[in-house]
Amino acid sequence: MRATYGKPLPGMRLDDLGGKLVVIEGTDGAGRSTQINLLKPWLEELGHAVVDTGMTRSPLAGEGIRRAKEGNNLGRVTQSLFYATDFVDRLENEIVPALRAGFIVLTDRYIYSLMARAIVRGMNPHWIRSIYSVALKPDAIFYLRLGIDQLLPRVVFTRGFDYWESGMDLYPGHDMYDSFCSYQAALLTEFDRMSSEFNFEMVDASPDAKTVCEHLKKNILQLLERDSRKSFVARLYADSARDLTAGFDKITAAPVRTSVPPGPFPALTPVVSPASNGNGHHAFHRK
Amino acid sequence: MEIGSGVRIGPFEVFAPLQPAVSMIRQYGEHNFPGRLIVVEGIDGSGKSTQLSLLHKWLESKGYGVVFSEWNSSPLVKDTTKHGKKKKMLTPATFSLIHSTDFADRTERSILPLLKAGAVVLCDRYVYTAFARDVARGMDCKWVRELYGFAVKPAIAFYFRVPLETAIHRLLDARDGFKFYEAGMDLDLSDDSVESFRMFQSRILAEYEKMIPEFGLTVIDATLPIEVQQSQVRQIVKTHLDHAQELRERP
Repeated sequence: MRATYGKPLPGMRLDDLGGKLVVIEGTDGAGRSTQINLLKPWLEELGHAVVDTGMTRSPLAGEGIRRAKEGNNLGRVTQSLFYATDFVDRLENEIVPALRAGFIVLTDRYIYSLMARAIVRGMNPHWIRSIYSVALKPDAIFYLRLGIDQLLPRVVFTRGFDYWESGMDLYPGHDMYDSFCSYQAALLTEFDRMSSEFNFEMVDASPDAKTVCEHLKKNILQLLERDSRKSFVARLYADSARDLTAGFDKITAAPVRTSVPPGPFPALTPVVSPASNGNGHHAFHRK
Repeated sequence: MEIGSGVRIGPFEVFAPLQPAVSMIRQYGEHNFPGRLIVVEGIDGSGKSTQLSLLHKWLESKGYGVVFSEWNSSPLVKDTTKHGKKKKMLTPATFSLIHSTDFADRTERSILPLLKAGAVVLCDRYVYTAFARDVARGMDCKWVRELYGFAVKPAIAFYFRVPLETAIHRLLDARDGFKFYEAGMDLDLSDDSVESFRMFQSRILAEYEKMIPEFGLTVIDATLPIEVQQSQVRQIVKTHLDHAQELRERP
């Protein structure tokens, strides 16, 4: 059964979340979104339904955060909580329903980035951990790690410095370069600190995207195989249990089962397909 | 790459010491600011806003620098809250978080700096409103209290205690019916908004009762005549402000 880092949210059932929650973490410019764009079609080709999600994509708070970041008066506590609102909206209305429907959820950043950013901004680590204790523990956390010396050229020669990625709200009076280095170094320290606490799978992000992707694919396959073995055993177990309790005629009359019911082991193959909203994003109904 | 085996962060050092975002993350920080924070609490229809506005006028007439801050009024956040309420997309958790975001903005933007500057800050509803409502919606009591750990502890927190039926009569005299979240309709307690309001608010009242000893709320009997309540309020405020030497006067 799936678990959260603390008490689960009211009304959130954890017993039938059969999908897989795969987190891609890493600092800005480590290539997270590139990897997700490579992994998603690959997983779909293998027959898995995939939902991808990421920061500020919630229908509730995404727009509000973007608007707040355009101004010059977004405080640090406010910023931390705004992002928490965005996260929980996606957790409840996107991530959990998708897992329940047997999807693989690929998420670009998770609570770790949000906690690192808040801690670097002076928030109490205990406070921010308490807020995010409602989050689901993922099945895998791949941490794409890149040192600043490798990170810098990627940022400088592609999209250029960004106000928030450079932590300019933290180092007023410095230029973007100095601020970027200080901010990203502080984030890396925080990520490395969290790495063992939360069991990150450390991935060296310095090789080219294809090499990194091969590495990720290998690890994801292992994760999927491990669980399909489990669900094979579960299916055997379920079948034999039925053999013992039902009469022979009932067994032959029973329909062929294509999936394992929610039980101690989650089913691997998605059984239900939530409706697509036509944008390639899967829509789930709100209550 | 092994974790904890001297992983290189790059050639750069953090050169500017990271400023903690005000040393505000103390549990209900007992700050020693020159200003004074006074808050009013109670369910809708308890008359707390009326009492606060009378107090406001009196403090101003005494020459104090007074500033008023209302629940759910952050210019940065309130549109998001409105959007969530209108589309009925708020769950107990996001309802809680978006209100804490609003409160955080008002704390960082106005409450803290004003208290530092020596103002009397008056808040219509404070963290206790969130504690009562969020717990009534099923959020974990400890989690919600942690969430607001950055809040400044008020000098006085008045709780205007009123029986539920009195409050409902007052409210229904002034308007017909309740809004969706106000009546706790998101909890599916009843299809009838007045009945739902009644059930939801009685949960909230129970939470307030628990908080009186927990946070030392100052209880005012809100069934008394307005003038009587106000004179009690002024007396209590006066004893607090007489000792406050550092308060700024209005220019």
